[in-house]
Amino acid sequence: MTDVLLGILSGAAFGFVIQRVGATDPEEMALGHLMQDPRIPQFMLLAVLFSAIGLFSLQAAGGGNTLILPLTFGAILVGGVLFGIGWGMAGYCPGTCWAAVGEGRMDAVFALIGGLAGTAAFAHLHAWLIPAIHAPTNVGQLTLADLFGKPLVGLIVEAIFLLAAVWLIGKLWRHSESGAM
Amino acid sequence: MKPTNTDPKRWQVVPAAVALAGIIVFIFATYGPPASSSGFVTTLKGFFLEVAPKYAETNPHYSALPGPGSWLMGFVIGMAAGGFAAGITGGRKVRDVPEIWVRRFGKSRIKRYATTFAGGFLILFGARLAGGCTLGLFMSGSIQMALSGLLFGAVIFATAMLSARIVYGKTNGRKQ
Repeated sequence: MTDVLLGILSGAAFGFVIQRVGATDPEEMALGHLMQDPRIPQFMLLAVLFSAIGLFSLQAAGGGNTLILPLTFGAILVGGVLFGIGWGMAGYCPGTCWAAVGEGRMDAVFALIGGLAGTAAFAHLHAWLIPAIHAPTNVGQLTLADLFGKPLVGLIVEAIFLLAAVWLIGKLWRHSESGAM
Repeated sequence: MKPTNTDPKRWQVVPAAVALAGIIVFIFATYGPPASSSGFVTTLKGFFLEVAPKYAETNPHYSALPGPGSWLMGFVIGMAAGGFAAGITGGRKVRDVPEIWVRRFGKSRIKRYATTFAGGFLILFGARLAGGCTLGLFMSGSIQMALSGLLFGAVIFATAMLSARIVYGKTNGRKQ
């Protein structure tokens, strides 16, 4: 029961923040994809950067439960392309559509129903899609920490990469007149 | 030019990213990597446990994840509650069909809803195949420095940028 309550509390805080920054608005998401507004992509990348530093500190203090998903090229490429097509069409991703439904957006309700249908379809095909695409191209639970030998070096490389991406998005995307970070 | 950032209640990018990171680190400390597409699986598992319990128990996808009464289920319900709370206190009018969509395809709700249904189908089918979604694979993974999450992030951003360009055409969402 504690688990459910923690989940609800965490989800409510998460949903509140992403609504306030504008990520539940499919218009803002589309403007991010169309390189017309840098805010949402920069928000996502900076949230990853700050969380990575936070998790690193948490682990240094002996806390944190982690789960590394395997690098499986076939499933990530095929799944990622299908995901990207849908994300560009709808302007919603699986998390934002729940918060957008709560916010009262009717198009998000249809995204959610479509998502349940997509989940059901995949679950039904799991038994042959996983051995066909996922398993054969699975190279294991690799991280930048493994690649560079030391977790801190991995973190620094990732931080440089993320900050470069945030900077590049700021340069290449158009800005609204009040679009300062 | 466009009204996106003129809302006084709209949070700026850096403080919002700090706030979200605080929540994510809290989740890592109290549960594990956060995920939202898995919440769809637990929701459906609950449905199938009622109407077709044998199918729910033998299907390898449903049996791999917890059903209702789990953190994952609480998380997506909480997401909706958080969106609701932010929406009613935000004083921002919510549109069923975004303006950018109306400029390109007109006011038809049917067209918009059909597209978000199809988009929703694709994002969940793709996420379940890849192992997670924007949050569960790209963000959670990259936060743990996982190569799977970093690669997935690059693929979904690149494809969505292309897909949005095809959907919104030459106008690129700009006002004429």
